[in-house]
Amino acid sequence: MLDGAQPALSLRGLVKRFDAKLAVGGVDLDVPTGSFYGLLGPNGAGKTTCLSMAVGLLRPSQGRAYVLGHDVWADPVEAKRRLGVLPDPVRMFDRLSGPELLAYQGLLRGMPPDLIETRANELLDVLGLADAGRTLVVDYSAGMKKKIGLACALLHAPRLLVLDEPFESVDPVAGSLIRDILHRYVETGGTVIFSSHVMEVVEKICSHVAILADGRIKAVGTLNEVRAGRDLEDVFVEVVGGRVATGEELTWL
Amino acid sequence: MALMPARPVRVTVFVRLKLRMLAHGLRGRGRRVVTFAVSLAVGLWLAVAGFLLFLTSGAVGRDIGYAMASFGGASLVLGWLLPPLLFFGVDETLDPARFALLPLPRRTLATGMLAGAVVGIPGLATALAMLGVAVAGGLRAGPAGVSVAVLGGALNLLLCVVLSRAVTSGFAALLRSRRVRDLAGVVIALVAASMGPLQLVISSTLGHASLAPALRIARVLGWTPLAAGFVAPYDLADGRPLLVPVRLGIVAGTVALLGWWWAVTLESAMIGVAGGPGGSRPVRDGVVRTLLPAVLRPAARPGQFAGIAARELRYWSRDPRRRSSLISIIVGGAVVPVALRLAPGHSAGVPLPLAVAFTSVAGAAILANQFGFDGSAYAVHLLAGVPGRTELRARAAALSVIMVPVLLVIVVAVAVFGEERGQLIATLGTAAAMYGASMAVASVLSVLVAYPVPDSRNAFASAGGSASAKGLVAFIGMVAAVVSASPVLMAALVLPGRLSWLVLPAGLAWGIAGVLVTTRVIGSELDRRGPDLLGEISLRS
Repeated sequence: MLDGAQPALSLRGLVKRFDAKLAVGGVDLDVPTGSFYGLLGPNGAGKTTCLSMAVGLLRPSQGRAYVLGHDVWADPVEAKRRLGVLPDPVRMFDRLSGPELLAYQGLLRGMPPDLIETRANELLDVLGLADAGRTLVVDYSAGMKKKIGLACALLHAPRLLVLDEPFESVDPVAGSLIRDILHRYVETGGTVIFSSHVMEVVEKICSHVAILADGRIKAVGTLNEVRAGRDLEDVFVEVVGGRVATGEELTWL
Repeated sequence: MALMPARPVRVTVFVRLKLRMLAHGLRGRGRRVVTFAVSLAVGLWLAVAGFLLFLTSGAVGRDIGYAMASFGGASLVLGWLLPPLLFFGVDETLDPARFALLPLPRRTLATGMLAGAVVGIPGLATALAMLGVAVAGGLRAGPAGVSVAVLGGALNLLLCVVLSRAVTSGFAALLRSRRVRDLAGVVIALVAASMGPLQLVISSTLGHASLAPALRIARVLGWTPLAAGFVAPYDLADGRPLLVPVRLGIVAGTVALLGWWWAVTLESAMIGVAGGPGGSRPVRDGVVRTLLPAVLRPAARPGQFAGIAARELRYWSRDPRRRSSLISIIVGGAVVPVALRLAPGHSAGVPLPLAVAFTSVAGAAILANQFGFDGSAYAVHLLAGVPGRTELRARAAALSVIMVPVLLVIVVAVAVFGEERGQLIATLGTAAAMYGASMAVASVLSVLVAYPVPDSRNAFASAGGSASAKGLVAFIGMVAAVVSASPVLMAALVLPGRLSWLVLPAGLAWGIAGVLVTTRVIGSELDRRGPDLLGEISLRS
């Protein structure tokens, strides 16, 4: 069966309970192949929990997750082969240098050494990390850490990229570089889903958007469907139920 | 607007500043006063102890006195050197960085800081101790001895201060980097771990000590800047006054050299260089070769196993938490059998195979929570779908690259020096069985009872409550390893001498089979509960 025939990622009734607290309360989501999907939500909405369950890092209390038709929890090997992940808070073996980390990633993924060699060097070049040489990742700046994390996620040429807060604490230059690379990746048939709470970025690059709040999907669709001619930020605040200043309070300011 | 005319800044300004800051130490809130009082008491105590030591050196026999003066002086100077290296510039009251914005010539700044550094508890304590040198010099060589000793003492005080300052500012850039802080953690771990052995060595040396070797070392020290100033009066007493200016010249020259270096490095200390050298060497040999250490390249095909083993090896040397555990295990593993076998009075007590039992299973103590060291980085393995079996075997293999040679050296050394060469082969067998068992047991524990290890700058920090858990799990692992190797141990104890070689192949087979079978069984358990393990070892923020 062709991988492109079904959604790149589909979540079915994902639920996560931590003791008494319901972190994610039944999420259904289909991420079409070739889409650039933004998962929006305020802090504590359950974005990280949701994505962790989708990629096999956190066991869901209920529900299923499929990567290109492969059940992440029942058939993890096949699902993970097609999957590249940038977790947040960035989880890496940060006492390796950038090149070492990429080599390590390649060996873990079972790639032949010469393929690791060419791809790692190209990624280091493109991401502007080649100059860092033997500096350990723990000594990298925040932006460099995101970039090496992205390189690790891309190294085995996955069909689906899951990125948790890829633009958090990244300077504009590094941010636009990451955006360009992701764009090129989507144009060549890849699929990206990333979480964020920065509206400008999402509005600029996403084809599809889902808004998550209190562990549930509140709005979902293509960017234009969700926006419905309005500003994305207004829609977001309205959907999430945030308070909008009416002009009556804080009059002493 | 015209610039304000600048008057030259005098040294007394710095001294007054320092005195005022010392006085403020007395006025502050509770904790600061206590700290100040404690450091004052410690300083006074050291000063009196040093004074008495140097005083005594003038009153006892010539050779003993010479050795005391030489060793006492050298440790005094080294005592000034170590704290800034370990704790990064102890005395920050006159931190060069705080003067960065003031238009001060380098020379003024350097002399001022120097004067400020002498005025302080350590400087005054040292000066007090030096009085003992002066009195001792008088006892040895009369009034001339006093003047030589005073001059030598003053030069040495200056040396102490300049040395500590030069080291602090010379390495300021380095000391700000994580790499050096990690290193300091290791040094502290090493010092802490070697306290026991040191005691053992000192007490056994004192048992049958003779002065001759000590005196030889003392003479050599007497020609280094460390002790030259302290032994100069002895040249007068020995009737060789021409040597006095040479020795004092050695100290003065060193002071001048360090002073120059200090003045040069002061600027970079004021600005604070970020980054540090060595980082940007290009990678030449290719990324995979960079990751795989030379020891692994011929042994393993590049793949998951080699990759994990390589990364683990790097981590045993790069992660300060792992490094300090490893150091304590190795030092402890060396000390226990030595104490059991070689210490006087115990020689016939414990059989050799049992004496090295602790050394053999010590690895279990640090491997029992091997995933805890990874923390949330273990997610990388989970995402790559590493089979549990490969995971556990690669980790055991990496530690073995370090531990097996160590174990081998310790067992052979204890057998040879303890005059038990006949038992060596059998003991190697039991050691192999117990080592293998410890790796197997540690694999099981690390999968089933994992807990997070906080990543802290302080190598000794541990999460509240987990310290006792850590000790317990490690202890259980070591006991279980000895118990599960007991058949081989029994064989070593009961087999007659000419058959005892059988223990070696039996022990090797037992150990290797133990690791292979256990990692296979617990490996599939790891495959099942990988995500749960990740949750257990990730620190909740």
